[in-house]
Amino acid sequence: MKRYSRELTVGGALVLLMISLAIFAPNFFDTQPMISRLASQMPALILALGVALVIITRQIDVSIGSQFGMCAVIAGTAAAAGVPMPLAMLCALVAGALMGAANGWLVAGLGLPSIVVTLATMVIWQEVLRLWQKGLLLSLPDGVQWFGMSQGTGQAMVIGSTLLILVLMAWAMKNLSSGRRIYATGSDAEAARLAGLAPKATTFWVFLLMGVLAGVGAALNLVQSPQIQPNSGEGLELKAIAAAVVGGIAITGGRGTLWGVLLGMMLLANVNPALTHFHQPPYWEKAIQGLVILLAVAADGIRIKKQKHLK
Amino acid sequence: MKYSILSISFALLALVSCKKSEDSGKLSVGFLLKSKGNQYFVTCEKGAQAAAKDLDIDLRVDGPINADPAKQNEIVENWITDGVDVIVASCENKDSLSTALRKAKQAGIKVVTYDADAQADARLYFANQATAQGIGEKLIDSAAELTGAEGEFAIVTGTLTSANLNEWIEVIKARQAEKYPNMKLVGIRPCDDQKDKAQQEATNLLSANPNLKAIIAVCSPGVPGSAEAVKQAGKKGSVKVVGLGLPSENRAYVKEGVTQAVILWSPEDLGYLAVQAGVALAKGELAEKDAKTFTAGKLGELQVEGDSIILGKPIAFDAKNIDDYDF
Repeated sequence: MKRYSRELTVGGALVLLMISLAIFAPNFFDTQPMISRLASQMPALILALGVALVIITRQIDVSIGSQFGMCAVIAGTAAAAGVPMPLAMLCALVAGALMGAANGWLVAGLGLPSIVVTLATMVIWQEVLRLWQKGLLLSLPDGVQWFGMSQGTGQAMVIGSTLLILVLMAWAMKNLSSGRRIYATGSDAEAARLAGLAPKATTFWVFLLMGVLAGVGAALNLVQSPQIQPNSGEGLELKAIAAAVVGGIAITGGRGTLWGVLLGMMLLANVNPALTHFHQPPYWEKAIQGLVILLAVAADGIRIKKQKHLK
Repeated sequence: MKYSILSISFALLALVSCKKSEDSGKLSVGFLLKSKGNQYFVTCEKGAQAAAKDLDIDLRVDGPINADPAKQNEIVENWITDGVDVIVASCENKDSLSTALRKAKQAGIKVVTYDADAQADARLYFANQATAQGIGEKLIDSAAELTGAEGEFAIVTGTLTSANLNEWIEVIKARQAEKYPNMKLVGIRPCDDQKDKAQQEATNLLSANPNLKAIIAVCSPGVPGSAEAVKQAGKKGSVKVVGLGLPSENRAYVKEGVTQAVILWSPEDLGYLAVQAGVALAKGELAEKDAKTFTAGKLGELQVEGDSIILGKPIAFDAKNIDDYDF
């Protein structure tokens, strides 16, 4: 019970928010807006799952929004040039893998601090996009939106594939040795090394996986409208990191579950829709989200202090 | 060594004077773009070429490939050396280009800005695409016309701190209160200049306000974002979408009947006006300050407010005329 206290608290807050919406703004649960809203939150959730792994290894990746934008534009350009949809989506994944591998090599291979490395790559990809696209929207050919199927089917596929990734990743983190290595690397890299768990290699693969997930997120965003904006990933890194932290991924590494990340994302992503449905001005959105993040970090701080006290 | 430098300088001087003597006596005008690849500026250039033809002048068009302020300075410096008569510029970086333009002005070149202004003392006039009043009124008037001037409407804006967008929203509110008392503003939501966020905001506005009749998007990513939300909600036609944006980014939605009107000034007319004004200054037909009106060729008589020549009212692109514009 105590082990999952964060998941329970965040889940409880989410349930409270939903109950108050059900009472005061039942329109919130109308089918179509609900599904459109959920589908549009899925790409950010994919990124949050990836960055959760990065944080569990006690690293950070702030370049994921820029990676997302690069992957989206690469896949979009390929699709616009007539490349079939599955291949265009593969381009996004490969591009993401390469960008992730670059981060991974700099952090794990050269031993550079991840905050500095990914800050640099964030700016680089951002500027590449600016030079390349000049801020104009990129129009996608017919047949890209909703994978060329109906809106309902397309949305179901976006939501379904995200949930499938979540289930697979959560299962792997718990049951596979590679999942346990990620936790071990983050809780004590030296102990992991002595136990023969190759923390450097683990860190590299986690950054690479992060890049692939940025590509997956970009592909799942790409299919939701007939155009993409080159800066579509701007600010996404903060959303993803916030969702992970609120969901109980300890910023000190080695702790947290991906189910918590799901709850954290759902809580943060629904603050703004709730404000609109309560007919409140949008000024509160960021303040409330900030407060939620602060509460989560404070709870972490208190936990660590207690642990030290016990020792 | 000294001699060789001297001889090179003489040779250069000879080259420069050669170039000068080649001039056919036509006025030469430098037309500076913010960026060469941008459809908006390509369309501005079309207007400038039209004015050059009407006025029989020598027009040189140049600009950085990628909105690079340093490159803009370099081009202006070259034009000063070449001794052009007029420079017409859109400034990527107001402060840095102003220094170069001031230098041009001191060299006796007539400087006019368009689209994005320089500091006031660096140019004589600014060809102003539209006033806040003109833009705000056109947006609310279009929404009123489409909804029969009644019912709820919402605004999707860029950011809550953007000064020019807030100014337009104030105009929209004032005009609505004065002219359209049966319309009601139910929400203003920021999209952080992101199309995807605009789509989410519009989706929420639609479900939170089931009686919504129109969405006005005052920032360009907001227009296609709102349109996609209306389309996904199956409310095409029953909720009208109007906004300020580029025709090219909204063509598909306008043709489908999701977006009813996209509002923008004509970049072609803006380029035409700016060149006309520059040439009129060089010919002494336009006073260097305190003019009240200016007759800009085919555009007719335009108002001058202070040192801004106002292009006039923005135009609305709809399903009928959107294919005539390729920017």
